[in-house]
Amino acid sequence: MATVLATYNIKGGVGKTSAAVNLSYLAARDGLRTLLWDLDPQAASTYLFRVRPKLRGGAGGLVRLRSDVSALIRGTDHERLDLLPADFSYRHLDLALDSFKRPTVRLGRVLEAVRDDYEYIFLDCPPSISLVSESVFEVADALLVPVIPATLSARTLEQLEELGAVADGRVQVFAFFSMVDPAKPLHRAVMARLRAAHHVTMLGAAIPSSEDVEGMGDERDPVGAFAPASPAALSYEALWWDVQRRLRHAARPSG
Amino acid sequence: MSVETIELVAAERPRAEALAAALAPELAVRAQDPVTLERVYLDTFDGLLHAQALTLSWEQGRFELAGAIAGGAAAADADADADERPRLVAAGAGPSGPLPGAELPAGALRDAVTELTEVRALLPRARLRVTVEAIAILDELDKTVARIVIELPELVAGGAGGRVALRPRLRLLGVRGYGRELELARSRFVAALALDQAGESLFDEAVSAAGERPEGVSSKLDVAIAPGERAGAAVASVLMRLLEIIDANLPGTLSDTDSEFLHDYRVGVRRTRAVQREFKRVFPPDALARLRAEFKWLQQVTGDSRDLDVYVLGFESMRALVPESAQADLDPLLGLLEARRLAARRAMRRELRSDRATALRRDWSELLVRLGDLDGLDASDGLDAGLPIGKVASGRIRKVYHRMVRMGTAIEPSSPPEAYHELRKQGKELRYLLELFGAPLHDPDVVKPMIKVLKGLQDVLGHHQDREVQMTTLRGLRDDVAALPGGPGALMAMGVLVERLEHDAAAARAEFADAFSTFAGKRQRARVEATFAA
Repeated sequence: MATVLATYNIKGGVGKTSAAVNLSYLAARDGLRTLLWDLDPQAASTYLFRVRPKLRGGAGGLVRLRSDVSALIRGTDHERLDLLPADFSYRHLDLALDSFKRPTVRLGRVLEAVRDDYEYIFLDCPPSISLVSESVFEVADALLVPVIPATLSARTLEQLEELGAVADGRVQVFAFFSMVDPAKPLHRAVMARLRAAHHVTMLGAAIPSSEDVEGMGDERDPVGAFAPASPAALSYEALWWDVQRRLRHAARPSG
Repeated sequence: MSVETIELVAAERPRAEALAAALAPELAVRAQDPVTLERVYLDTFDGLLHAQALTLSWEQGRFELAGAIAGGAAAADADADADERPRLVAAGAGPSGPLPGAELPAGALRDAVTELTEVRALLPRARLRVTVEAIAILDELDKTVARIVIELPELVAGGAGGRVALRPRLRLLGVRGYGRELELARSRFVAALALDQAGESLFDEAVSAAGERPEGVSSKLDVAIAPGERAGAAVASVLMRLLEIIDANLPGTLSDTDSEFLHDYRVGVRRTRAVQREFKRVFPPDALARLRAEFKWLQQVTGDSRDLDVYVLGFESMRALVPESAQADLDPLLGLLEARRLAARRAMRRELRSDRATALRRDWSELLVRLGDLDGLDASDGLDAGLPIGKVASGRIRKVYHRMVRMGTAIEPSSPPEAYHELRKQGKELRYLLELFGAPLHDPDVVKPMIKVLKGLQDVLGHHQDREVQMTTLRGLRDDVAALPGGPGALMAMGVLVERLEHDAAAARAEFADAFSTFAGKRQRARVEATFAA
């Protein structure tokens, strides 16, 4: 049964989609059957994998289990990596979920049909706190949280740690620094402070601010596919390694 | 969730430009630089994987076990099944020669393979050098909607044989969610490029090109004989086939590739001897006696090796008979058995390579040619050579069956082990007669249940005999084991083992009465009389 990892942050533009696209690519490259579910109405992951942002039956049909999820999945250009595309109908996903008595279990129900087909399922979440994110917390084994090293980021981490699903250990949080500019003293200072204060949550790997990451929009491919030796690609490798190590550690029986 | 794969073959190498032209204007292609790699296909001597439509290959540092890709229109129908087929991989070094299944890298692939192959070694059936060209089929968004893999395989022949080019293959791989594009590509390629659906797998084509049979070498009998056929000719064709089996298993026996070669070799010899005994009146009277003695010799010189194979192969199950705390104490015994096995193999190889063995093979073959000679009978032929085989074989089957009934009825729980053993030997004789002549000459639906009842009895007798022999052997090894490091501990454990074996043999004797009463009962007797009437 697949391990479900969700890239999440309340804020937009922090590198969620880049992380989801690159990490799912690395998982598939490592021989693991991987699905990326684009939950964001902007459909950026869908665009980056050159899949048409069109979902027969829309997001509503999916969560109402009227659409066959496996017929909506598309293979990407990379072996073993599939995509469940988003389209603009995802902007109403909150409303669709709200019509259920237990809305937060719906995403899990959708995935039930395909969860055995994959080793990893990545969820690329829209920013904000909403029913969609609550549902993601319910189904995910871990949240991958990109954090820009800025003063307010400490607040983001504290808010996350207060979330019910996080506080009672149902979902783990792996945060990592994103869009880092090591030349900026402020970035360095904030990173040192947050790593000290949140040493369990913060992973060691950090993704630099880089033209290669920005270049993904033109290349429409993960950095690892078109610039595998670039610092950004190597940072995603390190992040993927870090995430897997943490997952293995979490899977070990305690005591 | 796997996607469809279509395999096509071409008379000549399909060029990327021609593929692009066939797909235009809806779709385009992007080709990568070709790579050349080594590939080895593996299977057992008797083709156990091929029989399950499985292909085991090694390339670029990993083994892969895959369901054979069906070709032709059947591909679509077979697709549902193919989806369920395993496709397992495991990293490991390439095989340089025969590879015991247990030496595959540990994991799901090894488990799946060894479940089928058991003690049989995996042999490199064909070595290829394959140039692989990967081409993506793109839609107007430059998105990969299907993949083409072109393979230009060459068979690497052994020695200075050089290479033999095989037909280029084009594999069309679907991408999930793009079935329409896959079908479009398939139909365009077939129409424009003179491609054919692949009727045979690359494995089959390569092994055939190497001059071998893709399905492997069977030790099954499979000889067509008819009841009215002259006994001399029919017996000769059965024995010819047995000689083929003996010959086919000789190289693997000599090289100790796996224990089944010797096993099948010996079954061939034993069956030959049974036919010699039962049909001696078919042979020219002067010719058989010496060759019978020679075959007896052949069976004797291979006996120790086989016995020791059985000990070593069955050692772990024998070890499980003693309490867990004493199991490790048996290690010196295993070491001794393994050393003896190797020594016995060396001695056996000397005999099988001797002039005596060569002469036997030649003389026997000449006699069979003479016996099978269709020109008719002459004065030197055996008394029964001209009779119809149906009549002669039926007489032999009835006779051996009744002999067994007599012998078995005389057996009591207190009878010596030899009495059970003698009955078992007759049982083997009857089984060979039924398999070699009963089944091909009569309705298999009648003969097969008879063999099954006989098999039930033979299993009980065999179990009993195995235990008796094991006890005798263990007792005979006592002095040698005592002299080894750890010897006293091993002796104690062997004592426990002998007790357990005695107990087991007694249990088998208790089962004998039931199995024998089915075999000798009215129903079975009536079957024998009706099927093999005089």
